[in-house]
Amino acid sequence: MIRELGALTRRELKRLVRNPQAVATSLMLPILYLLLFGQAFDLSVAFAGTGPEGQIRFLEVVRGAPTYFSYFSAGMVGFVAVTATLFVGANVIFDRLFGVLKRTAASPATATSIFGSRLIAGMIQPVGLAFLVLGLAVLLGHVGLSGLQVTSSFSVLGWTEIILAILIVSAMFASLFLAIGFSIEQPQSYFAVVNLINLPVLLTSAALFPWGLMPAWFQSVTSYNPVTLAVNVIRENLFAGASSYYPYGPAVYLGGLTAWAIAMFIIATYLARRALAPRV
Amino acid sequence: MPDPVLAKDLVKVYQGKVHAVNGVDIDVTEGELYGFLGPNGAGKTTTVQMLTGNLRITSGSATVAGLDVTKFPLKVKERIGLVFQEGTADPDLTGRENLELAAALFRVPIRETKGTINGLLERLQIADAAERLVKTYSGGMRRRLELAVGIIHSPSVLFLDEPTLGLDPQGRAGFWKYVLQLRHDHKMTVFVTTHYLDEADEMCDRISIIDHGKIVASGTPSQLKDKLGGDIVTVRPVNKTGPEVEAILRALPAVSSVSESNGSYRVKVPKGEELIPHLVDACTRAGIALAGVSLKRPSLDEVFLEFTGREFREDEGMNATDRAVRIGQVQQAFGRARR
Repeated sequence: MIRELGALTRRELKRLVRNPQAVATSLMLPILYLLLFGQAFDLSVAFAGTGPEGQIRFLEVVRGAPTYFSYFSAGMVGFVAVTATLFVGANVIFDRLFGVLKRTAASPATATSIFGSRLIAGMIQPVGLAFLVLGLAVLLGHVGLSGLQVTSSFSVLGWTEIILAILIVSAMFASLFLAIGFSIEQPQSYFAVVNLINLPVLLTSAALFPWGLMPAWFQSVTSYNPVTLAVNVIRENLFAGASSYYPYGPAVYLGGLTAWAIAMFIIATYLARRALAPRV
Repeated sequence: MPDPVLAKDLVKVYQGKVHAVNGVDIDVTEGELYGFLGPNGAGKTTTVQMLTGNLRITSGSATVAGLDVTKFPLKVKERIGLVFQEGTADPDLTGRENLELAAALFRVPIRETKGTINGLLERLQIADAAERLVKTYSGGMRRRLELAVGIIHSPSVLFLDEPTLGLDPQGRAGFWKYVLQLRHDHKMTVFVTTHYLDEADEMCDRISIIDHGKIVASGTPSQLKDKLGGDIVTVRPVNKTGPEVEAILRALPAVSSVSESNGSYRVKVPKGEELIPHLVDACTRAGIALAGVSLKRPSLDEVFLEFTGREFREDEGMNATDRAVRIGQVQQAFGRARR
């Protein structure tokens, strides 16, 4: 079991490394967002000259982040978790088309390892990309653009929580996209369904939108969004004093995120098992 | 130890109404090369998928490599090899990486993996391309790689589902050479589906023909051909023709019919090679000089059409010439499909 899981995961990662275009494509969108929207929607301008009261309001809007861009770039990590895991489901569809999935299903490999290897690969990529995005966001601040300002001091616990948040939110979305990949046969249907999910998930999250500008009802919807839960953990840990703007500590959000991930994992393994079992 | 492939009254019904396989019995003995023939959509692949644990059996039973397929599908998969009609190797991995993955999935002991892979790569003549991505392989190389993947764990039973589909004649000949070698060296039982009849005729010990989900004929290739009424021996006398010659030929043992055309006589007999010495002897005694004697066995193509060529069966009134023309047309079509 461990051997086949290892072999299948290696295969997934090799394919990833051999398709640098796919990795580049996953990075393209967040980079564009960082360079265009993050820079253009600089809310600080709107609050300029509003005095101390305006500053208080501004901090409420971005939940204690030093700048809107800092708030935004931390949110991009959640965004990356969604866009980068999308490929794991698409790979299932293409593996089915190329017969690779048929071969694997005809082997004594268990459905757990076939699913598990894809899930692990789906978690590794977003973690790498998330750190690239964070690094780039910091770098932009040094070339005369708005950049990510990490204002809290370094803490092992803080960064462990950040990495856990990225891993768990990626596991949740990788499970979701794998569930769709194992249930849908046509690539075009897959992408149609994924688009239907992608955008609403991102738009109802606090990844990009300033929290304090949302109406109260929208805030309560957003609070339960897994992307929001992940970016809450990241923002609370990156920005000094941000915790006072959040009703709960990062551990609570990690708990909520884990609940989401477990639920999605159960659904996805059920669908993968069904797809890999002898056909009816 | 039961036979390697044993199926009783195998049935597959799709969505409660489509009877893809309808009461098939299969009994393949150890070391046998068993051919499963039938037109497209006859139920060949469905049967293979059920026997290999990849498709649920609606009713009936199947024991493969000594295990009940329904109860132990994963164990059965460990013991058998399966080469699909379509490519299943990962195009983004090299040939060697595909084999390494297969070795892990089929639980080849880690110590033996490297040696086994090198041996297979050498034997199937893909060693030079082992480090190349599979997407750069030719059709023949891909088929050989598929075969290598199918036998990496030295299975006791090997299933080949239309293994040479789309290959050129050299590719087909090469593929079969390796299968026969492997079968010889590893005493493997081989179950092959194909509609290349020449292949089946040449390679298989025993054949079953399936049509509409039922087995319509079974036996060795020569037994099946004998069912058509035997061989045709053609005789060309030099000095005599007419009823006298016909009477002599008709009196020979086991002859079922004699007909004349352009001075040649076509003698239909179950075993042509046994007739020829008697025929030459009788003609010599009667003073008939012969310009030539030839023996033609009915091909498996004709057997296949006899049992599955439904358009002929529907047209009872068709005369012999029309029938022959139609058979020729179908055979030509088969030839084209093969090319």
